[in-house]
Amino acid sequence: MTRSINTQTKNTSTLLDSTYQRLTNRGRIDGILLFILGLPVHIVTFLLFFLRKSQNQYADAYKKSEEELISSGILDTWRKQFLEQEQTKASFFHESLTADQLNRNVDLLVQGKLQKEVEIRVHSSGLEKYTYHNYFKQLLKKRNFVMVSAIPGILMYALLLLYSNPFVQFIFERVLQTIFVILGVATLVFTILYISPLDPARNILGIEATPEQIENFNRLYGLDQPYLTQLWNSLSGLFTFDLGTSFAGKEDIVASIANKFPVTLNIALLSLLMAIIIAIPVGIISAIRPNSFMDYTFMIVALIGLSIPSFWQGLIFILTFSLELNWFPATYNPQNWLSLVLPIVVLGTSLCASIARMTRSSMLEVINEDYIITAKAKGLNERKVISKHAIRNAMIPIITVIGLLFGGMLGGASVTEKVFNISGIGSYIVDKQFIPDIPAILGGVVYIAITISIVNLIIDITYAFFDPRIRSKMKKEG
Amino acid sequence: MKVISNLKLLMKITKEYGNAHFTLSFSAIFSLLFLLYSYNFNTQSIRPIVLAFFIIYLLTTVYAWFISKSIKKDLATNREIRGRTRMLGYPLILTVLVGNVFASSYGISLVSKNKTPEYTFAAYALLTQLFIIGISGFNLFKPYVIDTFLPAISAFVLLAVIFGLMVILVAKYVTSTSAPKWMFPIGIVLLLPVLTGNLFSLLLGYGLIKKARQKDASSIEKWQKIWSKILRNSMAVFGMFFIIFMFSLSVVSPWTFDYDFATQNNYSAILQTPTLEYPLGTDDFGRDLFSRIVFGAQISLIVGFFSTIIPAVVGGSLGAISGYYGKKTDNIIMRLLDILYAIPGILLAIAIIAAFGANTVNLIIALSVGSIPTYARTMRATVMQISNYEFVESARALGASDSSIIFKHIVPNSMAPMIVKATLTIGSAVISTSSLSFLGLGVEPHIPEWGNILKIGSTYLETHSFLAIFPGLCIMLLVLSFNFFGDGLRDALDPKTN
Repeated sequence: MTRSINTQTKNTSTLLDSTYQRLTNRGRIDGILLFILGLPVHIVTFLLFFLRKSQNQYADAYKKSEEELISSGILDTWRKQFLEQEQTKASFFHESLTADQLNRNVDLLVQGKLQKEVEIRVHSSGLEKYTYHNYFKQLLKKRNFVMVSAIPGILMYALLLLYSNPFVQFIFERVLQTIFVILGVATLVFTILYISPLDPARNILGIEATPEQIENFNRLYGLDQPYLTQLWNSLSGLFTFDLGTSFAGKEDIVASIANKFPVTLNIALLSLLMAIIIAIPVGIISAIRPNSFMDYTFMIVALIGLSIPSFWQGLIFILTFSLELNWFPATYNPQNWLSLVLPIVVLGTSLCASIARMTRSSMLEVINEDYIITAKAKGLNERKVISKHAIRNAMIPIITVIGLLFGGMLGGASVTEKVFNISGIGSYIVDKQFIPDIPAILGGVVYIAITISIVNLIIDITYAFFDPRIRSKMKKEG
Repeated sequence: MKVISNLKLLMKITKEYGNAHFTLSFSAIFSLLFLLYSYNFNTQSIRPIVLAFFIIYLLTTVYAWFISKSIKKDLATNREIRGRTRMLGYPLILTVLVGNVFASSYGISLVSKNKTPEYTFAAYALLTQLFIIGISGFNLFKPYVIDTFLPAISAFVLLAVIFGLMVILVAKYVTSTSAPKWMFPIGIVLLLPVLTGNLFSLLLGYGLIKKARQKDASSIEKWQKIWSKILRNSMAVFGMFFIIFMFSLSVVSPWTFDYDFATQNNYSAILQTPTLEYPLGTDDFGRDLFSRIVFGAQISLIVGFFSTIIPAVVGGSLGAISGYYGKKTDNIIMRLLDILYAIPGILLAIAIIAAFGANTVNLIIALSVGSIPTYARTMRATVMQISNYEFVESARALGASDSSIIFKHIVPNSMAPMIVKATLTIGSAVISTSSLSFLGLGVEPHIPEWGNILKIGSTYLETHSFLAIFPGLCIMLLVLSFNFFGDGLRDALDPKTN
């Protein structure tokens, strides 16, 4: 029992040591971060380092081997070699050097070589240059040190452990990046709305509003405060889900967004499902028989689907299926699932077209790979080659694209929602922009962006687990 | 020369044979549409003009089928298309009179063995000019025409005659590597019609100048190679034709169309159904829908063009810098652009317009900002690849500065993906423009823009659906053309992706 714990701690400390080495080698920012996180430990160890410096083995060994080398007389051979070298160089470049200059150059070169040679010798005898960096690394190897410093250096050790596994490191970095993007999006959208020349107070109170009324309005909503205060309030409001009330109507913004968001998400997810069900088989069929009649027809239809403005498609659908044929209701009604059909089809069309085109090109690329030819040569039938070998590899870029397109679809939903009179988040933002109702627009846009970022984050992380190529690449880069 | 004896293979590589089927299917589709429209279901009556169109298109379809059969027979017996079969193309050219651009362009390409890009340019310059004359000609049915109408139309007719002559001359004298010396001044003259927006004429003139000067054989070959690759793709050519036609129409419309018909209210002609005077009917203020759509093309193209070129330049430079310097610079630029990339384009545009108000300039800015990251990513990927090439290394060894390496050596060599990307995204910019206008967030409502026209049309969907159908069709056709042309460009410039 004790033994196993022992080995484990040993493993952990070598792990810590190697990760520390890797991180400090990687870049200055990682090194600084590591230093700041481990500051309490560093203060103590730095003092110890200075105390130990006097009893320095390295300097002694260095001096000894330097003397050895000088006394062995090898310096003269070097000097001769360098002299010859310098003379040839000077004659080649037609430079006339005085003997003084020549000697100085040669001296420098000899000194340099001596230093290098001594360092190599000392290093081979197992002594490392006595720097703080090396000293700390030595300490990390010691179990007792790690145990003692575990509590003050907990942050540093946590970071080291995070970075010790390439998976965990990848996920950690990706999450950090997402948080940065989300904060950036919130700041950007707020800044755009902040520098707006439009005056919400005037738009709501009317032209006859007195300056006092406007001032009162601005004070009520904190619009008179400086930029940073407002930014801080908005950011903290966004992440604590408390954006206050909207300028017009005085409704609770987060509550109304929470009411409308599921509607949009519902329609978007159903359209996505429809698009995937239709587009992927279409893309695969097109790719298996490239340049056939079927391929041409599918791809022209896909291109048309990509070129139709969604609001016009919505209008034409309403005209045909609601007004003329009376199959589906023209406006959305939560109780009637039939009213969902048209918006889903309209929203899904361009996505469907993009996925079909993407599937086709991705499949075409994979089908011409060597391993597919090998699979065919092995005598596998075509169905098996396509379903087992081709599709699985072709899906990887498609899923990324689907993740990205999903974001575009959530954004584009506002147009479709307006056409079908759906009270989703998109039409909410559009309705609010005329004032402009700053917290409502901010909330709507940022929450959509957050959703998209999280979806993409999840897709990226799932990849790292499923795609062996990404996994091996991560390990190599490590 | 290697003789291809396999008939199937021969049919596959003979462009005329494939295009015959193409013409056939398009004429068939259009004749079907005309047949459907020829019967008025509401009044239970037949529209005679439409029926006539149907019959002409049907005859064209049958004729195209006949041509494809004769080509097949020729290939089987002579291994090439005989002169007599080529003669069959002449009647097809006449179908331009009923607007069948597919059949007429096929006719022109069939009659000549000569397949230089200049021949195609001349033919399409002619077709564009004829279509412009035809579209402008509808103004003759209006109570009055604008003062500049007559001189403009006569100039167009003159241009059409010149282009017609050029088709014959080019077919006779221009080869794939050279043109006679006397073509040089003609080439310069042909650069001028670009003032009417006829870009085919510009391309024709440029090609002739290049070939007549005979200065740089490799650049002539490059020109010939790229264009014959693009022009081999029929859909890309039609896309290009429609784009140039729309562009030319929006350039010349102020001389042949009266802006007042598009914007002035005329309460005596409210919500008219299509007639010769109002070819697409009128809206709820009595404004002529046809003129409105023609002027709307201008706005759509301007907004589409600028909201593509601005992010292409900004994003392209950012991407080039970040791809060239790599490391920290790359990290900072790309992480900041990630923020922009996380917000869907339309939403960002809505937020920007919410902050600064709805007008054309803000719309262009709003659409541009959202698409900067995609251009930056495209450029960065290409630049990263190119900066590892030897010629960059040698430029660096010769002591060129970073900026001159980036902008003189790397950027010109990484333009191809950017051009393809730009062509493909102009289409989506056009869609976004009209979508935002439809929401009331785009172009000012008094300007005849396609989204604005549709917005009015959507309120009369039940009673006057044509108000919503025609502008939407125009948007779709323009976007489709950009997409087809972009696909063609991509296949020609970057064969890897296909």
